[in-house]
Amino acid sequence: MIKHLFKLIWNKKKQNFLLLSEIFISFMVIFGVFSFGVYAYKNYMAPMNIKYENVWVINYSNTLKTENADSLEMFYSSLKQNIQALPGVIEASYTSANFPYSTSMMNNGITYKGKQYFGVNNYRVDDDYLKTLGGNLIEGRWYRKADGAGKERVIVINKKLKDDVFGSGSAIGKYIDGNNSKDGRRVIGVVDDMKNFGDYQPAKYGMFERIDTSYRKWVGNMLVKVKPGADAAFEGKLYKTMANALKNSNIEIEHLDDKLSSTNKFTLVPLIILSIIAAFLIINVALGLFGVLWYNINKRRGEIGLRRAIGASGNSVSGQLVAESLILATLSLLIGSFFAAQFPLLNVFDLPAMVYVIALLMAVVFIYLLVFVCALYPGRQAANIYPAVALHEE
Amino acid sequence: MISLQNIEKVYRTDTIQTLALNNISLDVAKGEFLSIMGPSGCGKSTLLNIMGLLDVPSKGNISISNQQTHNMNDKQLAGFRNKKLGFIFQSYHLINDLQVIDNVELPLLYRDTTAKQRRELAAEALEKVGLSNRMKHFPTQLSGGQRQRVAIARAIVGRPEIILADEPTGNLDSVMGNEIMDILTGLNQNDGTTIVMVTHDENMARKTHRLVRLFDGSQVQ
Ligand SMILES: Nc1ncnc2c1ncn2[C@@H]1O[C@H](COP(=O)(O)OP(=O)(O)OP(=O)(O)O)[C@@H](O)[C@H]1O
Ligand SMILES: [Mg+2]
Repeated sequence: MIKHLFKLIWNKKKQNFLLLSEIFISFMVIFGVFSFGVYAYKNYMAPMNIKYENVWVINYSNTLKTENADSLEMFYSSLKQNIQALPGVIEASYTSANFPYSTSMMNNGITYKGKQYFGVNNYRVDDDYLKTLGGNLIEGRWYRKADGAGKERVIVINKKLKDDVFGSGSAIGKYIDGNNSKDGRRVIGVVDDMKNFGDYQPAKYGMFERIDTSYRKWVGNMLVKVKPGADAAFEGKLYKTMANALKNSNIEIEHLDDKLSSTNKFTLVPLIILSIIAAFLIINVALGLFGVLWYNINKRRGEIGLRRAIGASGNSVSGQLVAESLILATLSLLIGSFFAAQFPLLNVFDLPAMVYVIALLMAVVFIYLLVFVCALYPGRQAANIYPAVALHEE
Repeated sequence: MISLQNIEKVYRTDTIQTLALNNISLDVAKGEFLSIMGPSGCGKSTLLNIMGLLDVPSKGNISISNQQTHNMNDKQLAGFRNKKLGFIFQSYHLINDLQVIDNVELPLLYRDTTAKQRRELAAEALEKVGLSNRMKHFPTQLSGGQRQRVAIARAIVGRPEIILADEPTGNLDSVMGNEIMDILTGLNQNDGTTIVMVTHDENMARKTHRLVRLFDGSQVQ
């Protein structure tokens, strides 16, 4: 019977071409939407590794006149101590502008054994950064005061970078950007990947550099972990403390959870718009499919009547029509899968191959279901055609 | 072979009610070649469809090969039509998207057969109607007479005991019509197939064993 249906479809290839391409196009669209959806979901499922609740960020501008690095250092470390001493504050840390959910980026490349790794986010942080954000140390240690005095240059990297650069072995004690303590930087710690770009974006390569005296004047952000229930009054107090210390500075306080939700929106809105467009397209395709199948069946009433006369039951007629549609879907999906497979093969959007594979399987199942549902009703309708009436019409 | 008892068929539409068949009782013996005649609209096709289990009567009983049919469900009826009956229509009803050989194989698709068996039986049936050299043609590439011969091949491929033919020569000229008639007569004489044929042509009817005349849904002869 399958062979018979293939023959029938092949001999009607001209009529079937429209349906075939319609299924093909909807498959490609669905595949695209699912790819981004799966990607977002996969990212969403990865742990955040940032305890952003009750973390505020103070943006300030350095208004101190002094160019002396040491006195700057002294000023800012005592300012931080004052902040930490406030009763509502749990922890505080200076950071470069690319703190979590900010819109700033600072990218570097590193080399290890002659191989270069690009797109490494460079975070300038201080000794309390990890504690303030509640990040996890996986290996080695985080920065401490003594690191400022040491002559050796040390570095903390994130897990993603470590996995790609050092594989499964330990990274502690290895040098990057050089082979020894003279020109290289010794890895002293590895932290769990933090999703700095929000819930729906993956963690990227990251390395954390301790803010040194020469960098101090460029720093303009402080992260403050406050006690739960800290209110506007407390925020005002925090503001005043900063404003008193830094005359004429532009000071602004934001909350990380607000920044996270706006970052998330930024990622999700395009996906939602894409989904809405896709949904309209799918409805269109479903109606089109339904219409074409409906039309086909009405055009084939004579054939249906004849098949009934020579021994097809109502169920076998509707089964045949559904099967024909599914065979058509299969042909479209074969072509579609060929094109879809080019995305991971050519690495078009830099998404993990697994994302494409899952999206492809989901799109295949979705299209089969769609075609099945669209074919079912016209198929049932065909089963109810009275053979005598259908044969009479022609 | 076929036994109709007090068959009545009423067609109801929104506005009118048509009594297409009025109390018809008819027995067709095994091996008989019966023809049905009557003016247009008198119920010939309706009668044939009811005999062929394509339509159900409003009243009355049908038995075929001593089997009562009124209790059969759709699947049983389909199986019964497939094995016992062969149909020939005035307008052939071939599937234009299938080659001649595939059209002839069609009834066997609804049976337990292998592709090889189907091919052999279809070739044999086409041989009987003299169309062995047209197997790979599409119906649209054939003349009317050839198409009807394909339809006959399709009707006999499953070796049914009964053939029901509704004006099989209605669309053909007399030469082609006679050819078709010869094939049917041959099937009846050589294979013992029971044939019921609706016709408008007295000459055709004269070649059969018995003639039944209908008028306005009733049997008049
Ligand atoms: N599906 C239907 N619905 C309503 N009335 C019908 C239907 N089929 C047939 N009839 C009516 O039943 C009567 C008998 O029709 P039938 O087709 O059996 O005539 P016929 O003898 O075969 O005519 P012809 O020689 O023209 O083929 C006609 O009056 C016709 O209008
Ligand atoms: Mg008729």
